[in-house]
Amino acid sequence: MNEDPGTVVVTAIGVVSPYGLGLRPMADGLLAGHCCLGPLRGVSPGFEATAAEIGCLPPLEDLRDMRPSRTDQLAILAARDAAANSGLGGRALRDAAVVMATTVSGLTELDPALVRDPLAWYRAGGLARAGSYPFSHVAEAVGECLGAHGPRFAVNVACASGAVAIALGANLLLDRAVPVALVGGSDALCPFTLSGFHALQALDAAPCRPFDRNRGGLNLGEGAAVLALETLAAARNRGAPIFAVLRGWALTNDAFHPTAPHERGRGLAECMTLAMERAGVAPDDIGYVNAHGTGTPLNDVAETRAYEGAFGKRARPVPVSSTKSYMGHCLGAAGAIEAAIAISAIRAGALYPTLRLSEPVETSSVDWLTGQPRRQPLPLAMTVSAGFGGSNAALVFGEYSE
Amino acid sequence: MNSPAITGIGSVSPFGVMSGPVPTRPIEPRAIAGWPTPGLRRAYLVNPFRPGDVIPGLKTRRLDRLSVWSLVAASLAVEDAGLDLARANRSRAAVVFATGLGCIELTEAYFRSASDNGWAGVDPILFPETLCSAPASHVARCLDLRGPNITASCKGMGGECALLQAASLLRNGQADFAVVMAGDTLTRGAYEWYEATCALSPACFDAAPPEGFDGLIPGEGVSAVVMESADHRRRRGARVYAAVRSGHFAARANVERAIRKALVERSPSEVALVSFATSRGALAEDAIRELFDRAVFAESSPVAAGLGDAGGLLRLLLALNGAPRGALAVLASSSSVGASAALLLELP
Repeated sequence: MNEDPGTVVVTAIGVVSPYGLGLRPMADGLLAGHCCLGPLRGVSPGFEATAAEIGCLPPLEDLRDMRPSRTDQLAILAARDAAANSGLGGRALRDAAVVMATTVSGLTELDPALVRDPLAWYRAGGLARAGSYPFSHVAEAVGECLGAHGPRFAVNVACASGAVAIALGANLLLDRAVPVALVGGSDALCPFTLSGFHALQALDAAPCRPFDRNRGGLNLGEGAAVLALETLAAARNRGAPIFAVLRGWALTNDAFHPTAPHERGRGLAECMTLAMERAGVAPDDIGYVNAHGTGTPLNDVAETRAYEGAFGKRARPVPVSSTKSYMGHCLGAAGAIEAAIAISAIRAGALYPTLRLSEPVETSSVDWLTGQPRRQPLPLAMTVSAGFGGSNAALVFGEYSE
Repeated sequence: MNSPAITGIGSVSPFGVMSGPVPTRPIEPRAIAGWPTPGLRRAYLVNPFRPGDVIPGLKTRRLDRLSVWSLVAASLAVEDAGLDLARANRSRAAVVFATGLGCIELTEAYFRSASDNGWAGVDPILFPETLCSAPASHVARCLDLRGPNITASCKGMGGECALLQAASLLRNGQADFAVVMAGDTLTRGAYEWYEATCALSPACFDAAPPEGFDGLIPGEGVSAVVMESADHRRRRGARVYAAVRSGHFAARANVERAIRKALVERSPSEVALVSFATSRGALAEDAIRELFDRAVFAESSPVAAGLGDAGGLLRLLLALNGAPRGALAVLASSSSVGASAALLLELP
């Protein structure tokens, strides 16, 4: 493979998902068609909902002083999983950047009583809990637990956050600012976000049906994923395992509406096109798109129109699926988890279908993946993320060959 | 100058609502009247104003103050840059925003709604506006900026981080220009968190505090700059406040290391102006003063310090006021949370 100094590769993947800890259980679960969605049990917002929960997390005794939030804990578990399979250490790890995405952050630790009398709430034990509220705390938690002391920051770009963190980490490598970028996202389920989507009538009471004409909304999930990014030259120098090549990335904004996507998917289509241009590939080269695919009425139509815009001139429709049908929408973590899924698809040569997709949104530009996983070589895959406020992100991953 | 450069400035701060560099003048913290306090409580507050009076036609109903101020500061910066957005390629226009706490005003309102009505009865209008990224999204929507849109939070270094992320987007050809902002608002929940941590200065409780007092006087506001790639600003002949030559930030308390990395091949003796903020005591400051023995040090600003993570950008706007021409400048910070940042700027 060409050693262009701008070639960015993925040298570690750590995941914690409703399937458990690690990429393998998640990839196996997807291949087996195992759906993690079920009645919400661990969080009590006062209404019924379907969600994908992780349950009790292993205690992080060594980090008790940090008072990590549940979001932090998920991030730390994923980061440690990534570190364990990266072989990273020494100066490269010490100087590594940490770019973590979150939308929930320490909201998991706050409760409504806070606003009645904040000082009293803090003095009654809330002070330490509130310390994890600033969303930079997630990046701090990951950096401290791994001993990574390069640039550290968190990003919150709504539901596109996880993919944006990956793109910004890759930019740090292009800038030659760091030897390694640890990038990803983490979000935990909590009453704040559950109630918000419930109030917006965006939740499907049943397991979601992305891209189906009878879809009724989204389900929330929780999880985290952390990827290690390095330049190809650096990875080869240290004999690192190379999971995939990050061929291209792009970020755009619809500049259209505070919550609704542009109805023709204008910004998202442009984002996918830019990512392909930067990757130096044509629309026909993309073998699979892991969709944003939330299952909400507005998103799925706009996203379908975006595929028509970006892939409409292909010789054959582009294969697309939404893996949110397996584990819900993990918000700030979704883009990072879905990047891990796309890489696992490339490595396994397997295209995961969308569950419960029986009457797809009509389009001639998309080959909706349904039924059993499709086995085929997959040199290039794309992930697509979008969020409130019109932000879009697209990542193009390619297989690595010597 | 081939580096990305700052070509427009706008701000909403305790110094006022304005375009261009912020005049350095001492201001007093004001008594808090927005929520009940157990006695005198003071902070560096933004004076209330009507956004529509500053930016005619601007609609800000139902928005968090952080979003409103971001819209005003961004619009002023674009205007100050003389940027004709109608002629710009909006797809190559980025928005980069840094905040420590995000839209806490409406987050607290959302919690109040949950406290009054239960989680099942919260106000749906509030929820999307609680996202930290809402201000950057509103700026993109109102100014029709369709390029990368990023909201970042970096402990102690948010302003510096935003400047460096924007410079990275421009250098890597991912945008032609960027609106870069950093800010936070003060609410009862935030102020009383500082109070509970015993971080507040005696000046917060006493209009005549003892001399030599220490501690934080919390502040609020949003600073904004327009940063353009070298090609873009040359094409339109834009005026330059400062070019961002290089920069470095890290989760280390070693600010000297950050400065040396930012200087690249330039010598500290070439630097004429230094704006340095530290909350780690005189030791680091002495070392920095020794390193830049020929430079003028910008006066430290308690107002910028009160902005916490987002204060770096306001500090830059203060330092640019009356800055020497044709010189190199350094914006450096060392925070109490063990982080450091340095940017090397070239003044035209």
